Amino acid sequence: MLFYAVFVILPVLFTGALALSSGVRPGLSDMTFAGADNFASLFSDGSSFLFPVLTNTLLYAVGTTVLTTVGGLVAALCLARLPGQGLWRTLYFLPVVTNLVATGNAWKHLYQPDGPLNALLNTLGMDSVGFLQNPATALPSVMIVQSWASLGSAVLILSAGLTTVPRDCLEAAELDGAGPLTILIRITIPLLRPALLFVSITQLLAGLQSFALITVMTENGGPGDTTNVAALEMYRRAFTYGDWGTASAAAFVLLLITLTLALAQLRLFEREGKDT
Amino acid sequence: MTLKLLSHYGEGALKDELQRAVDDWNAGQSRSRVETVPVRFEDLLTTVVVRQAAGQGADILHLYALWTGQLVRAGVLRPIPAHDVRLVRSGFPNAATQAVSVEGTVFGYPTEGQTYGLYCNRRLLAAAGAAGPPRTWRELEAVARAATRRDHHGNTVVQGLALSRGDDSDSVNQVLALVAARGGAFLTPDGRRCALGSPSGEAVFSLQRRLVRSGVTDPAIDMYTAFSAGRAAMAVNGRWWCGSLLASMGERYHDVLTTALPGGRGTLATAYLMGVNTQCRHPEPAWEFVRWLNADSTRIAGALVTRMSALQWVAGSMTARIADIQALFGEHGDPNARPFLDALAYATPEPNGPKAQQAKALLRKNIEEMWSGRLSAAEAIGITCRQVDRELCHPG
Amino acid sequence: MTHHRRAPLLPWLITTIGALVMTLPFTDMFLTSLKDPGDYAHLPYRFLPSAFAFANYRDAADELDLATLARTSILTALTVTVSVLCTSSLAGYALAKLRFPGRALLFRFVLATMMLPPFLLLIPHFLILAHWPLAGGNDLYGNGGAGLTTGITALVLPFTVSAFGIFLMRQFITTIPDEILEAARLDGAGELTLWWRIVLPQTTPALITLALLTFTIAWNEYIWPLLISTANPCLMTLPVGMQLLQGHLDPQRTTPLLMAALVISALPVLALFLLLQRHYVRGITEIVEL
Repeated sequence: MLFYAVFVILPVLFTGALALSSGVRPGLSDMTFAGADNFASLFSDGSSFLFPVLTNTLLYAVGTTVLTTVGGLVAALCLARLPGQGLWRTLYFLPVVTNLVATGNAWKHLYQPDGPLNALLNTLGMDSVGFLQNPATALPSVMIVQSWASLGSAVLILSAGLTTVPRDCLEAAELDGAGPLTILIRITIPLLRPALLFVSITQLLAGLQSFALITVMTENGGPGDTTNVAALEMYRRAFTYGDWGTASAAAFVLLLITLTLALAQLRLFEREGKDT
Repeated sequence: MTLKLLSHYGEGALKDELQRAVDDWNAGQSRSRVETVPVRFEDLLTTVVVRQAAGQGADILHLYALWTGQLVRAGVLRPIPAHDVRLVRSGFPNAATQAVSVEGTVFGYPTEGQTYGLYCNRRLLAAAGAAGPPRTWRELEAVARAATRRDHHGNTVVQGLALSRGDDSDSVNQVLALVAARGGAFLTPDGRRCALGSPSGEAVFSLQRRLVRSGVTDPAIDMYTAFSAGRAAMAVNGRWWCGSLLASMGERYHDVLTTALPGGRGTLATAYLMGVNTQCRHPEPAWEFVRWLNADSTRIAGALVTRMSALQWVAGSMTARIADIQALFGEHGDPNARPFLDALAYATPEPNGPKAQQAKALLRKNIEEMWSGRLSAAEAIGITCRQVDRELCHPG
Repeated sequence: MTHHRRAPLLPWLITTIGALVMTLPFTDMFLTSLKDPGDYAHLPYRFLPSAFAFANYRDAADELDLATLARTSILTALTVTVSVLCTSSLAGYALAKLRFPGRALLFRFVLATMMLPPFLLLIPHFLILAHWPLAGGNDLYGNGGAGLTTGITALVLPFTVSAFGIFLMRQFITTIPDEILEAARLDGAGELTLWWRIVLPQTTPALITLALLTFTIAWNEYIWPLLISTANPCLMTLPVGMQLLQGHLDPQRTTPLLMAALVISALPVLALFLLLQRHYVRGITEIVEL
């Protein structure tokens, strides 16, 4: 409990205090009350925090959640029909246990303008793509890596969920002449709801806080501001510019968004659960 | 006692030369020992801020003068002792002294003084049919276009004018140097407002936009690698680059030709300073070391100069001290240094207000968005001015 | 089984392509780590190295002082793991088997903290460590010195308790029959003895799973060690150290070295995973079922 007092409750209060104060040195002696100034500054006209930083963050979180959940579901369904599930699962799970600095750099290398992926594209007769250099492709390119890196746990969780789907249920449906797609939508997905909920919520939380992968792959959130996300912006404001006030305010805004989205998602799944 | 010296001189000749000077100091007297702590330039400001907050600030700091305002406000830098103020004022050009001062108080010795110029690859210019380096803006654009080469996949093999997309200073300084060459500036002289919305700002932004769109330049390609590999005909950079090009190009350094920016009437000047931390428990010996490094004389190439100047000269960079510049670069040395020395007479320094780095970061983002075509030149300038004015007026 | 009669061509195709995509970055990383500079600079790009430059691994280890980085990483990850195991099973035991007022509320609070994003705590954790009273030269009010940011404690302290760990252990400890505990209590055993003699042995599989997951996460942690090693480079861990190699200006020489270093940084946890994957699998799947 002492731990919680020192490392959870106090920090939250402290962040709140910082967010509401201005002061160039982060000490209680040097803080002056600034009210909502820091929040106002984040959302004022001409601030880049709302757009593109927050919109990037949301796009990134939602995009990776959808990619991972759908990708994980497809892979889990395919795996369930093949022999040697353990081996496949191991392959898919490798990125999950590898550190993001390693996977981020491996992908950064693949994405190089004269790197392997472009060489592959050129051999196939296509023009090169500036994956991380082109502002239009930079954020999606990082999103792919994030989804790739977490696909393994989604596959694992959904595969486990699939084993709980009763066989007789599926066979009965097939006898009724239902096609594979109907079975999937009508039976499998509703039964998988808890697993899907878990996968998508953890993905969303991870996506909203993404920092490591982005600094590894684009260093400063470039080109321009296209891959700048809230956690990165917060880190830079605090630890590069010494602007502790707006950094803490940014952290709080992100906390509120995280909680709102997670609760909304929970509600959404619960309601759907009642409908069917 | 041991004094820690934090600097970004962590590689190549600059690292070796700084270490040599420090070793001399450590061998020469017994009062204090200096220990160098190198970090990457990209990490330097974050390192200073984080270590200061953690109570582990280095005793002696070697910093980009742009940050003077921010770090003085955060209580990191000590004012320089009165005796040294006189030495700085008399020994260095006014622009350099200003760069290391906040509201008239001097916070360190200027160490490096950079001006920006145009780097050309002689061989590629000749291949493009140009008789010499471009002298006018029209020529610059024409030569850049003529020098560009691409393969059948659309990959750029030779860029006419390379642009660098590295850290904030990398992206921004090469733009601001061109803006200054046309008589404009990023901020108003008091550093409180954005001044890019001028004809010179628009001219430079739209020139770069045109060059990117027509494939003459590709910011996705690393400028440093491309130029030293002979795959870029021209680039804008500071004098310090001569040193690293000499190291990375070897024999092919003969291909490198430097010249003043077109127009030849203005460019950007940047500076570095060495000062002492407020957290330093032994400020006296720390200042003693800084003074020794910047005033004590050493003989190099027949001239009597400071150790810092000698270090800069050997590493192919540029000192800020007036007497040493004249002594070292007067008649001999690398002819590529000449345009940068001439530029000292007309180059404008960067304002160093408390939010200078944040303003620069905002400018970088918009420049990169403009390069990529997501913003037009006019939009990029408009957004930059709005964001920068907003940031500069927030007290934070 | 109807769907076994249908030729599962599509699943085969998707899974195989998927597996290729999953392993391609690793393969490329490994192959690149074996290239010499000339080989690497070759255009167009070649996947296979023309000769195997195993010396890259030695150079990377020398250049980055990998031994020191690895020592910090191992020490940190082990300390975090041990402390998470202790705190989780003790707190889990208390929450599952001890009756005290406010227990349900406390459990809810622990669950709620799982939702708290770590980045919110980044700034305050850092400042609290720096201003820790009477440590690292600080006075009673936490000013004047470096606090706890100078030692390995800085890397470990914020991770010593895991809400997820408490949750997991509580769920497992709940399944231990009360009769066993009661019998032992009648024999005069104290709560700590009960925990040590009965709870720990009964929950060994859960502890192994928790240990593996904690170790993996601690080993791969990036943002906190990045911050701490910015303050004090002696505390650099392997992943943070890898990022350093990027600063060099000559990518032709350093990219293969970087890849070699990355392979080294990923190997320990990959090996652990391949050896003990059934525990990982169980851990992950149990999370959902709980």
